[in-house]
Amino acid sequence: MPELLLEVQGLETQFRTPEGVVHAVNGVSFGLKEGETLGVVGESGCGKSVTMLSFLRLIPNPPGKVTAGKALYRGQDLLKMTDEEIRHVRGAQIGMIFQDPMTSLNPVMTIGKQLMEPLQLHLGMNKQQAAVRSAELLEMVGISDAKQHLNDYPHQFSGGMRQRVMIAMALSCNPQILIADEPTTALDVTIQAQIVELVKRLRDELGMTIIWITHDLGIVAGLAQRVIVMYGGFIVEEAPVKELYANISHPYTVGLIGSLPRVDETVRQRLFSIEGMPPVLLNKPTACPFAPRCKWVMERCWKENPPLENISEEHRIACFVDVKTGKAR
Amino acid sequence: MTTFIIRRLLLVPVLLFGVTVVIFGMMMLLSPTERSALYIRDFPKNEAALPGIIKQYGLDDPFYLQYWHWMVGRADPVSGERKGGILFGDFGFSRTASEPVVTLIKDRFPNTLDLTIWAVAPVILVGIWLGVQAAVHHNGIIDQAARIFSIVGTSFPTFVFGLLMLMLFYATLHWFQPGRLSDVNLRIISQPGFNHYTSLITFDALLNGRFDIFLDAIRHMVLPILTLSYISWATFLRVTRSSMLETLRMEYVTTARAKGLKESDVIYKHAQPNAMIPVVTLAGFQVISLLGGVVITETVFNYPGIGSAAARAAVSLDVVAVLGFALFDGLILIVANLIVDILYAVVDPRVRLS
Repeated sequence: MPELLLEVQGLETQFRTPEGVVHAVNGVSFGLKEGETLGVVGESGCGKSVTMLSFLRLIPNPPGKVTAGKALYRGQDLLKMTDEEIRHVRGAQIGMIFQDPMTSLNPVMTIGKQLMEPLQLHLGMNKQQAAVRSAELLEMVGISDAKQHLNDYPHQFSGGMRQRVMIAMALSCNPQILIADEPTTALDVTIQAQIVELVKRLRDELGMTIIWITHDLGIVAGLAQRVIVMYGGFIVEEAPVKELYANISHPYTVGLIGSLPRVDETVRQRLFSIEGMPPVLLNKPTACPFAPRCKWVMERCWKENPPLENISEEHRIACFVDVKTGKAR
Repeated sequence: MTTFIIRRLLLVPVLLFGVTVVIFGMMMLLSPTERSALYIRDFPKNEAALPGIIKQYGLDDPFYLQYWHWMVGRADPVSGERKGGILFGDFGFSRTASEPVVTLIKDRFPNTLDLTIWAVAPVILVGIWLGVQAAVHHNGIIDQAARIFSIVGTSFPTFVFGLLMLMLFYATLHWFQPGRLSDVNLRIISQPGFNHYTSLITFDALLNGRFDIFLDAIRHMVLPILTLSYISWATFLRVTRSSMLETLRMEYVTTARAKGLKESDVIYKHAQPNAMIPVVTLAGFQVISLLGGVVITETVFNYPGIGSAAARAAVSLDVVAVLGFALFDGLILIVANLIVDILYAVVDPRVRLS
């Protein structure tokens, strides 16, 4: 078994709100192998982003707090590092890009200055070196006349160009891991495809390890080697991507796949949707969090929360039901 | 940027013209009799002189004619000499102050400027810093104190606050005196050895190396400064705080943290410049409230600035002086707003292009 680059164990994150304590991440564990691309899937509010922000310690505290767990990066626990130590991991070792390129760049700072910051900070470049490198980075993500654009402000760029800038910025210090938090959600479809292609190309050129968060199973199919499906702050299914699509095992994943439009469909039919809303967990659940929306729900699902168990060597699910037969496993 | 400034500058004469029409129009709401009141002594006895005065000064001429005369002056019916005309820099003679309006403003304005600088500079330097600290340590001690301080400040009318200050520190505790300077020092600064570089007493005292006179001047100004600036402290703190709180929740702040920047750089280099945009807008409004605050504060503390002079002119229907002060205030406002607009373009690159 290859060495794990990142290993998250039993991560729990809670938010204090006026309504009570929200359990956003509930004992999430996963590993990340060097060079692989991991897709993290789930609908809004299921804890995907919070999980990633948690181990980078980017959750605003208060109201958020990581209450338990470990996040071992090259054997060192990110959650136990000093503020100074984790700063040298962020940006330098683990880069991150966000969902909305319209709001994730500083509107009153030039693109060049924003790109140069991590270069000067982590790589110790001086201004001239950083400016030259910034222009190279912009060229790398497909922005032509990069030198002229260094003095531009974000509002002079389109959404797609801004996301390219974000990618250039996240990759500027050659990080080991790139966390992409729904980087295509806010873009229109043609730009989405361009950004996905760009990341694929850069991954192959630079040999990066990627965590790609999305709610689009279609993108994951073409990009990731392994997929984690999250629901209510739990991992409910984890499998290599081919195994997942060949052998969908969790009712929630079944619903997610069913809600995808298919281009090879001959008979037009209504898209499937999962009834109800994702839960807001004010208490640690004693039942399966998906039970209220599950069409295979059984007596047992209301009494205990199914643990994540292997159903084959690399396939884990948290469910009591076998969706093929509709009976208990 | 340069075209932006030139465009704004071209607007200034247009705005000034508008200001003159409005303030002159407002004065014309007074009847000719009311506007001639100041020219007649022993009013009931000499009432017969009224029609002659109105005729002599053309007070019942049509609006446009009177406005024209205010602008370019008017030939005296007896001597034939041109009198008045603000375009020639002649703002007329103030009967309440017994000197030309221009001289009055020249004498009084440095005092007001002195007061305003000492009232505003600490607010901008410290008030904004405190607002940022309150937001960064949200719900901490500074934040709670700032909140209480702001609520009290915004709900206290200036004249009530000023009178309370007078009662407490002047009448009861005898800590500070109203007025401008102690008599001893007033004599010193009017003697030849004391150079008037700026006409602002505090600055001149420092430039002459007379720290004792500086302290004396500040001691006389403490209460007016507090009264004039309390509302500004409160509003600047409140707006900076809420703007900063909002900015700290923005995604680009998370981006900055995710790049591994120091927390101090995240706050002062990334968040604060963004949070300053609404604060600059606020600064424009604060100039208006300061001009009003100056009138009340100077009157309450009997401080010899243009505010107290304007108030005196207004209550005695000194039309010429009131017009002069109003126009001067209008000019200050226009210049202040011009500066704010330019500042606005400096802090927000999105404004520069449009």
